[in-house]
Amino acid sequence: MEIDMLDIHNLEFSGYSTTTTTTTPSSDENPAYTNWTHWSPLVNWEAIAAPHDDFHHLIDSIIDHHHATTPLHLTPDHDDEDDTTTANTADDESPPLPTTPTPTIAGEDETKGLRLVHLLMAAAESLTGATKSRDLARVILLRLKELVPFSSTSSSTGATNMERLAAHFTQALQGLLDGAGGGGAHNNHSNNNKQYSYWSHQTETLTAFQLLQDMSPYVKFAHFTANQAILEAIAHHRRAHIVDFDIMEGIQWASLLQALASYNKTASPGPHLRITALSRTGSGRRSIATVQETGRRLTAFAASLGQPFSFHHCRMDSDETFRPNGLKLVRGEALVFNCMLNLPHLPYRARDSVASFLNGAKDLSPVLVTMAEEDIGPVGVDAGFVGRFMDSLHHYSAFYDSLEAGFPMEGRARALVERVFLGPRIAASLGRIYRTSEGKEERGSWREWLCGMGFKGVPLSSANQSQAKLLINLFKDGYKLEQLGSNQLVLSWESRRLFSTSIWSSSSSYSQIEPL
Amino acid sequence: MERMFPPKKPSTMNSHDRPMCVQGDSGLVLTTDPKPRLRWTVELHERFVDAVTQLGGPDKATPKTIMRVMGVKGLTLYHLKSHLQKFRLGKQPHKEFNDHSIKDGMRASAIELQRNTASSSAMIGRNMNDNSHMVDAIRMQIEVQRRLHEQLEVQKHLQLRIEAQGKYMQSILEKAYQTLATENMGAVAAAATNMKGIGGGAHGIPDMGVMKDYGSPLNFTSFQDLDIYGGGGGNDQIDLHQNLEKPTLDGSGFLPINEGLCLGGSNNNSNNKKRPNPYGSGNNTGKSPLIWSDDLRLQDLGTASSCLGDDPLFKGEQIQMDHRGTHEIDPMAEIYDTKPVLQGADGDNKKFDASMKLERPSPRRMSPMISTGTMAQGRSSPFG
Repeated sequence: MEIDMLDIHNLEFSGYSTTTTTTTPSSDENPAYTNWTHWSPLVNWEAIAAPHDDFHHLIDSIIDHHHATTPLHLTPDHDDEDDTTTANTADDESPPLPTTPTPTIAGEDETKGLRLVHLLMAAAESLTGATKSRDLARVILLRLKELVPFSSTSSSTGATNMERLAAHFTQALQGLLDGAGGGGAHNNHSNNNKQYSYWSHQTETLTAFQLLQDMSPYVKFAHFTANQAILEAIAHHRRAHIVDFDIMEGIQWASLLQALASYNKTASPGPHLRITALSRTGSGRRSIATVQETGRRLTAFAASLGQPFSFHHCRMDSDETFRPNGLKLVRGEALVFNCMLNLPHLPYRARDSVASFLNGAKDLSPVLVTMAEEDIGPVGVDAGFVGRFMDSLHHYSAFYDSLEAGFPMEGRARALVERVFLGPRIAASLGRIYRTSEGKEERGSWREWLCGMGFKGVPLSSANQSQAKLLINLFKDGYKLEQLGSNQLVLSWESRRLFSTSIWSSSSSYSQIEPL
Repeated sequence: MERMFPPKKPSTMNSHDRPMCVQGDSGLVLTTDPKPRLRWTVELHERFVDAVTQLGGPDKATPKTIMRVMGVKGLTLYHLKSHLQKFRLGKQPHKEFNDHSIKDGMRASAIELQRNTASSSAMIGRNMNDNSHMVDAIRMQIEVQRRLHEQLEVQKHLQLRIEAQGKYMQSILEKAYQTLATENMGAVAAAATNMKGIGGGAHGIPDMGVMKDYGSPLNFTSFQDLDIYGGGGGNDQIDLHQNLEKPTLDGSGFLPINEGLCLGGSNNNSNNKKRPNPYGSGNNTGKSPLIWSDDLRLQDLGTASSCLGDDPLFKGEQIQMDHRGTHEIDPMAEIYDTKPVLQGADGDNKKFDASMKLERPSPRRMSPMISTGTMAQGRSSPFG
C-alpha cells in the first residue's frame, strides 16, 4: 500500500481530542511537528487505550522521569483520554502520580513525550493484538520516525531522553514489522564484524562500556556483589574454581583478583583461583579468540598481583548448550558458577543456553551460584505484547534517566552508550517479547527458576550490603537498593527496579562461610 | 610491760578490786583471803622478769634458778612455777592478741570493707538501674564503633577494587586502540584509491583520536592530511556520502520501508549535488549523520534495495556508527564537550585540534575514587 507522504497530514482520525493546549513547537522540533497538532490518530484511542488503562500510570512515570526537575503536570487532553478509559482491574505497574491539569512550561516537551509514548503503544498494539494491522503499524512508525528520526539518537541535535528512547524503540518496532527477526538481526555488531575492522567496533564497544561504567553503577553493582559473595565463600578453601557463563573481557575478575591478592597479604594464603570461561562457537571465531585473549590478560593481571591463577576455557556446543563434562574439575576445590545476564554490555544469551548452564550447575553442586539479571516489571501473565512492550519502555526510560542523571551534560557520551548497547538491546528484547508473546514462552525470572530448581539462597553478608550501599552512593541520588529476601539485592532507579544480583547455593554443599 | 599480760593480769595486779592485802616482811603481799595467795605486785613481777631475763628468757629460766636469782623469801617453787608458766603463756597471748588484733583489725577492716563494699554494692545495686542504661549505651557504642570500622574496611576494599577494575579496563582499552591503530595504518595507505580502504581508514579515525590521548606516538597529522572528513578529495567525499547515507537512519536491521514509501532517488548514483542539501552548507561528510536530523525528509532515505546494499562494508549501522563513533569516541575528552564540535565550519579539523579539551564528567563524587588509580596517564579523565 502506498501512501503519499503528503496525504498523511490529511488523514482523519477519530476519537482523539485535539484540544491540546500546546503552544507552537520550539525551534529544535521538526517543522512537521506543527502538523501533528492537527492530527488525530487513525485508530480509536478509546478502543486501544481501554484494555491498557493500567498503562497510564506507566506512561505517567515514564514522562515524569524525563522531567524529574520539573513537576509533572499533565495536559488536559491527556486527562480527557484517561477519563474515557474505564478503570480496569489490572494493578498499577508503577505508583500513580498526581495529575494536575495545569500545563507548565515543560508541558510541551512532555506533551510530545506523551504523544510519542502513545504512538509507540499504538504501534505496538497494531503489531499484535486485536487491531493487528501491519499497514497501520507502518503509518504510525512513519510518523514516529518523523518525530524522532534516528539521527536524534546521537543527541547532538539536543534530543531529549524520551526522543532518543522513542527513536530506538521505533527502530526496534520497525524491525519487528519488517520481520527482520528481532533478536537475530539485532545481534548488534557481531554478525557484521567480518566485513570491517573488528577492532574499531571493539574499541567503540569498549569505550562505550567504560562510559557506561562511569555513568552508572549497574555493572559494578553486579560484579562487586557477586565477587564479595564469592570471596566469602572461597576464602578458606585451598583451591577455587569459577565457571563464568559469559566472561566477555573478564572485567568482573579484575577486582576479585585484587581482593584475593590483598587477602593473601593479610591472612594465610588465599586460594588458588581457577577460572573457566565458556566460549561459544556459534558467534564466529571471534568468540574463542576473545576468550583466549581475556584469559591471557587475566593471567597477566593475576601475575602482577601475585595471585596464583590459572585460566581455562570450555567450549559450548554449537547450539550454545553447556555440557558439564566439558569442565575440568579438581577434587577439593570450591566450585562457583557465575552467571551475569542482561547487564547492559552483555549480549543476549538464549534462554536455553542459560538454562543448560544452570542445569549443569545443579549437577555439579557448586558452593555458590552468583546470578545477575535485569528485573522485569511485574507484568501479568496475560499482559501480551503490548503490556510487555510498555514495561520494556518503562524499563529503558528509567535506564536512560539514570544515565542522564549520571552525565547530564555529556549528551554525546550517553548517546554513544545508548547507541552501542541499549539500542540493540531494545531491539533484541522487543524481538524476543514479540516472539514469545506470540508463542507463549515462559519468561519468569532466573531467580525464580533457581528457586524452583532447588537452589537455596545464601544470605548476603553485612559487608556485602555495605559495599553495595557505598557503591551507589558514589553515583547520583536516585539509585535505590532493595533487599528482597536475604540473598538478593535489587538496584533500582527511582521507583523502577532495574537489576538484581542474587546468590545461591545448592543445598547440599552450602557450608559455613565467614566474611572476609 | 603490763600490756604483755593478759588483761586480767593487770587487773589482778591491781589491788583495787581485791580485798586487803597485807604486805609481809618479805615484801610479798599476801592476800587476806582465807586461802593466802601470793600477790604478784608490780615490783615483784619486775624482779621476776629481771631474773628471767638474766637467766635467758622464760624458756631457759627454771623456777629453781629464778628463786635463787630473785632471792625473795617466802617465794616457793610453786609460786614461781605457776607464774613462770603464766609468764610464758603471757607472751603468747600477747602475740596472739596482737595477731588477733591484727586479724581482728583485718577482719574489722575487712568487715568494714565488706560493709563498705556492701554499702557501695548496695549503692551500686541501688544505682544499677541507672547503670544499666549506661552499660547498654556502652554496648551500643561498641557496636557502632565496630560497624564503623567494618564500614571503613568495606570502603577501603571497595576503593581498591574499583581501582583494580579501572586499571584492567585501561589495559584493555590501550591494547585495543593500539591494535586498531596498527591495523589501520596499513588501511589508510590504501585509502586514496580504494573505497574499502577509506572505510577502513575512516574506521581508524576514532582510534587515532584516542590514541593521541593515550599518548601514542602515532602521528596524528597524517590523518588530517588525508582529510578524510575534511573538505578534501571529491572522490572520497562522494564515496563517503554514499556510504554514509545508506544506513542513514537505519540502525542494524532498521530497514527502510520497502513498499512504495521510498520516494527518494536511489543512492547508488547520487552525486555531490544532491547530497549537500541535507548536510547544510559544507560538504563535510564528517558532519553528515549528525546534522541530518533537522532537514531530513523521508524521501531522502534510499530505497530499501539500495540501502541494504550488497556491499557489506557499508551495511547497516557500522559506518554510521563508526562515523558517529568518530566524533564521539574521538578523544574521549571530546565526549565531555557540551557543544557539538562538528558543526563548525572547519568541521573535523577543528575536532582534531580541539581534541585535548577536557571536561570533567559530572559525577564528581566518583572522581576521587576513580582517579586515584585508574587511567591516569597524566590526564584527569577517568578514561585516561
